[in-house]
Amino acid sequence: MIELIYLTILLPLLGFVINGFFGKKIGNEKVIGLIGSSTVGISFVISLLALIETINLPVEQRTNVVELFTWMSVGSLNISFSYLVDQLSLVMALIVTGVGFLIHVYSIGYMHGDKGFYRFFAYMNLFIFAMMNLVLGDNFVVLFLGWEGVGLCSYLLIGYYYDQKFEKGTVAQAAKKAFIVNRIGDFGFLLGMFLIFETFNSLNFLEVFSQAKHLTGAESTFGFIALFLFIGATGKSAQIPLFVWLPDAMAGPTPVSALIHAATMVTAGVYMVARASIIFASAPVILAVVAVIGLLTAVFAATIGLVQTDIKKVLAYSTVSQLGYMFLAAGVGAFSAAIFHVMTHAFFKALLFLGAGSVIHSMHHQQDIMHYGGLKKYMPVTFLTFIIAAFAISGFPGLSGFFSKDEILWFSYANGNFVYWLLGALTAVLTAFYMFRLVSLTFFGEERFSHDKYHPHESPKVMTIPLIILAVLSVIGGWIGIPEVFSGEHGNVFHNWLAPIFLDAELKLAYYGAHSHTEELILMAISVSAALFSMYGAFKIYTQRREIAEKFALKFKKAYMVLLNKYYVDEFYEATVIQPIQKSSEKFLWKIADNKLIDGIVNGTAVVITSFSSVIKKMQTGVAQVYALIMMTGIAAILFWIILSL
Amino acid sequence: MLTEFGKIFIFLLLAIGFVGIALFAAKLIRPHRPTKEKLLIYECGENVEGSPWVKFNIRFYVVALIFLIFDVEVVLLFPWALTYQEFGFYGFLVGVIFLLILGLGMAYEWRKGDLNWDRTKPNIPELSKILTNKNVSNVKIDEQIKES
Amino acid sequence: MINEILNSITFIYPELAVSIFLLIIVLVDLVFHKDKKYIPYISLAGLVITGILVLNQIGITHFAFVPQLSAVKKYGMMTIDPFGSYFKLLVVVTSILIIFFTIASEEVIDLKERLGEFHALIYGMILGMLVMISASDLILIYLSLELLSLSSYVLAGFLKLRERSSEASLKYVIYGSVSSGLMLFGISIIYGLTGSTNLYVINSLIQGPQINLFTLSFSSILMFVGIGYKISAAPFHFWTPDVYEGAPISITAYLSVASKAAGFALLIRFIQTGFTSFISEDGYWTLIAVFDWQALLIAISILTMTLGNFSALWQDNLKRMLAYSSIAHAGYILLGIAVLSNQGLIAVLIYFFVYMLMNIGAFYVVMLISNKTGSENIDDYDGLGAKAPFLGVALAIFLISLTGLPPTAGFIAKLYLFIALIDANMIVVAIIALLNTVVSLYYYVRVLKHMYLTKSEREQENITPSIGSLVYLLVLLIPILFFGIYFTPIVEFARSCVSLLGI
Repeated sequence: MIELIYLTILLPLLGFVINGFFGKKIGNEKVIGLIGSSTVGISFVISLLALIETINLPVEQRTNVVELFTWMSVGSLNISFSYLVDQLSLVMALIVTGVGFLIHVYSIGYMHGDKGFYRFFAYMNLFIFAMMNLVLGDNFVVLFLGWEGVGLCSYLLIGYYYDQKFEKGTVAQAAKKAFIVNRIGDFGFLLGMFLIFETFNSLNFLEVFSQAKHLTGAESTFGFIALFLFIGATGKSAQIPLFVWLPDAMAGPTPVSALIHAATMVTAGVYMVARASIIFASAPVILAVVAVIGLLTAVFAATIGLVQTDIKKVLAYSTVSQLGYMFLAAGVGAFSAAIFHVMTHAFFKALLFLGAGSVIHSMHHQQDIMHYGGLKKYMPVTFLTFIIAAFAISGFPGLSGFFSKDEILWFSYANGNFVYWLLGALTAVLTAFYMFRLVSLTFFGEERFSHDKYHPHESPKVMTIPLIILAVLSVIGGWIGIPEVFSGEHGNVFHNWLAPIFLDAELKLAYYGAHSHTEELILMAISVSAALFSMYGAFKIYTQRREIAEKFALKFKKAYMVLLNKYYVDEFYEATVIQPIQKSSEKFLWKIADNKLIDGIVNGTAVVITSFSSVIKKMQTGVAQVYALIMMTGIAAILFWIILSL
Repeated sequence: MLTEFGKIFIFLLLAIGFVGIALFAAKLIRPHRPTKEKLLIYECGENVEGSPWVKFNIRFYVVALIFLIFDVEVVLLFPWALTYQEFGFYGFLVGVIFLLILGLGMAYEWRKGDLNWDRTKPNIPELSKILTNKNVSNVKIDEQIKES
Repeated sequence: MINEILNSITFIYPELAVSIFLLIIVLVDLVFHKDKKYIPYISLAGLVITGILVLNQIGITHFAFVPQLSAVKKYGMMTIDPFGSYFKLLVVVTSILIIFFTIASEEVIDLKERLGEFHALIYGMILGMLVMISASDLILIYLSLELLSLSSYVLAGFLKLRERSSEASLKYVIYGSVSSGLMLFGISIIYGLTGSTNLYVINSLIQGPQINLFTLSFSSILMFVGIGYKISAAPFHFWTPDVYEGAPISITAYLSVASKAAGFALLIRFIQTGFTSFISEDGYWTLIAVFDWQALLIAISILTMTLGNFSALWQDNLKRMLAYSSIAHAGYILLGIAVLSNQGLIAVLIYFFVYMLMNIGAFYVVMLISNKTGSENIDDYDGLGAKAPFLGVALAIFLISLTGLPPTAGFIAKLYLFIALIDANMIVVAIIALLNTVVSLYYYVRVLKHMYLTKSEREQENITPSIGSLVYLLVLLIPILFFGIYFTPIVEFARSCVSLLGI
């Protein structure tokens, strides 16, 4: 099955082609939905079989390259479409196809009756195709193609309701914002790629990394490469300072938010950092930057999440915050913990979004949680699965989020320092708080909507079954990564699985902190109990005594407004980046540089060329004798030149 | 020292010079009294009708070409006939193929009707058109007489 | 002797096949002279068979027709090598495309009576080209060049009732005979100098010190004039626009691709076999110090592309514009030779393949439109994008590819050419070529402007191409777009075909 891995990429492409070109003719939603989800489903099965085959191989043979064809070969640059099947890419492929498949199935119900049904599935399949290229590609170019491809799909899907309004602007503007902010990151990524090619004369992962392992004394080169790559990652994975697009990306349909902006695409940056772990490990300074940026993003986004009232916005900031966690893990050298969190996060965040989608679906696209309340009796399955996910993300012991989050917190202390841990734990507390604020306001308390307008109801089975599966995964998904403090020496299956990939990076980083299990247990107890307390508090406040929250908001009005307006980051960018660029481009670039200088040059050359051309045109008289004369003159001129040069 | 080519070159010069000098000498010595009859192209033949610059019937060329082709054939066949026995059957075959291809060409011409003399009506130059032309020789002749 | 000849015949199967089918076409034309509609199919069948035979030859490197007189070194009159096979394949594929072209062209359909002659003459051209590509003997070169030229003179004037066509043919004959006369003169001087007509023997002889350099240069220039006339390099290109405009459009397309390809193959073989002393490991050719071939080629190519591009700027007849554009392209290709390296040769091979697709495509669309409107004038293309959407898009893609913009194969062709130039440190030349490309953008885009931005003044019916034409265009379009993105196959194929039979 390993050598058939390219099918996992081609099948979604096939689905895209069929739905994209013939979807309108097919017309039947069931057929379109079946094509869209079955292609992804089969891809998942193939990936699973490939995983089983890889597990059965001895450890040193688990890295396989499947070459499809050579794309171009110019000088020393040799780029081929070949796919790297190893422990890391298999995990990512399974997440993408598995969660992707569930979301596709869910979408059949969610998008029911939409006029662009086929378009939606075509884009979704195209996204899976691009994402699989991203995670499976064995060189930076294929990764970059996937990277740009998912960006494009993200743009298309955010702008899916292109004719509707979104907040202050339109959906199309939100899509554009996502695209442009991503381009800034991509620019960094491209620079990083160029620098890699310049340094290693190759863009192939295995070649670059094996060279990087032995290359010493190139600290600054590594630093720049890592920095550029990380800039790319901040764009795609919505980290400070390029996180502003993700909340706006919620303009897209909710399954899109679940698939692209929670489970898969936004984790591409984490994947890339993990993939290039050896390069980051060779640049400790940049690695520290990664950790700090991740940590700041985590805290920053969590605080914003506390006061948002749009259900998807809360989840969006929560995603940003969790992505910050992953970068924190990568930044302290715990790459496998980061990937572990990518996985568990994919489960519970996808579940949260799909649950939110279920709520939105039944509430006629009302997204303000202030207009919800008491929904649990109307939609029991959604409620149950949603609350499981909320427990998971808050780190309730035994659920998947607990294991991954705890591992990250522990490494941030063991490989980092106490401040990392403290802020990380604070984020966990905040997360627990806003999640249960959300749960309470949505499913508990009095009903704050009119029954004339809204008729809340449980979603159809095609939507709830994916919810149930994801809920099960959110519960048990973490059990493959139980930390050694509970499972004993080498008991962490997930960590052992990925260990060969990150071995070089870990050797280079050489963290051998002498920390005891007791320390780990104490810290874990503190953070878990704080989170539990916070959960309880949020639940109490928002179900029974909402006036406390209101009073609090009034008392700290300034702070509240700052949070509500997301720290005015959008406004800050508007004033410092967008306005100056617009002004200068209008005043200088357009009126002077473009109109006068460039147009002048272009028109000038046209005039020169035209006049030259009219001279030359006269040579072609049509008179045979003249032609012969010029021809003989030509020969004479050549002979004359030869005589001179002899 | 002259090379062999040099000698030929001198012969060339001498030959040209001989003609030139002879004509020039004749011009000096001979009397010059032109009459209309004297200036005609065929002094004792028929009068010229029209310009000599008419289109010849293309069939003259066709005949010339056919002649040329078979002439060249003979040139090639003579040496072949002398030596083909040395090469046995293949030598014979080569000649046969050559002749067959030529024969095909001949058949082609025949079939296409290029050997029929009266295939299409030839485009005969009309006298009335030619006479209006300034370049007609009779007019020129009249002018020459006037000058003299 | 006889064994050598029999043995050599195994290496000229493609040429033999063409000769046999030439005879078959003449015979069929004679026997069934009432009904000639099968003739195009017979000639297609012949070409397919020839193509298969050429494919079988790919990879073979061998001399054919080695005279027994040169007992020391065995150099043949013909050379079978991958380079030649590539060009032969190109010629055969072009011919197949052109046969389909003529089936659709109304100019040729009108000539039902003379269809047999038409195809027989095309076969004459093919035979000439195939032999010319392989020829390594000056006499054979001259004979094949004449065979090619004579057939093409007749074809250029095939529409004998059309005044322009007759004029084209006459001009073609005049220049053809002048330049082949010059070439023959050159051949005789080379023979006089070296006592041999074989390029390989000549190569080894002119390396000696006792050769008069000026005489040798003079004769080489005369040879070059003969070839330059065939590839329409400036200043020997003047016949091109007139002939291309006057000839039937299918023949114009054919002349602009196939006969040019054969001419280039000859030029490359002439320079590489006749004048190269050795090829270094990184693929650069070191030429025998006769005169500065490189400077000559660069000068000629820049002159050619500049004249071609600038003359094309304000041409209103599309056929004439494409004629000038094909002159300009000859200039680009000549640059690939001027690099004098295998890298440049690869670029030439790639360029010709792509050029074949896009040039025939452009001519085909022009032909389809003139079938309907009876005109090739650019004003009749106004609003074509709306009236004939598919033809409009197809022509747009062909023109964009001719300009050399991504994502078309034309870009890849130019890219490899520029890589070769830059690799050889010919930066200034590369910049001039690049500027020329920019100039060419003007006149290609001008057509697009007329098609899409100008509203037609007259009411015209919609043009819907037939299914056959659709398929034909798709066959050309798909490779252009496909190789524009995934170009490794042609690059690898060209790389494998770059080797000429060595010295």
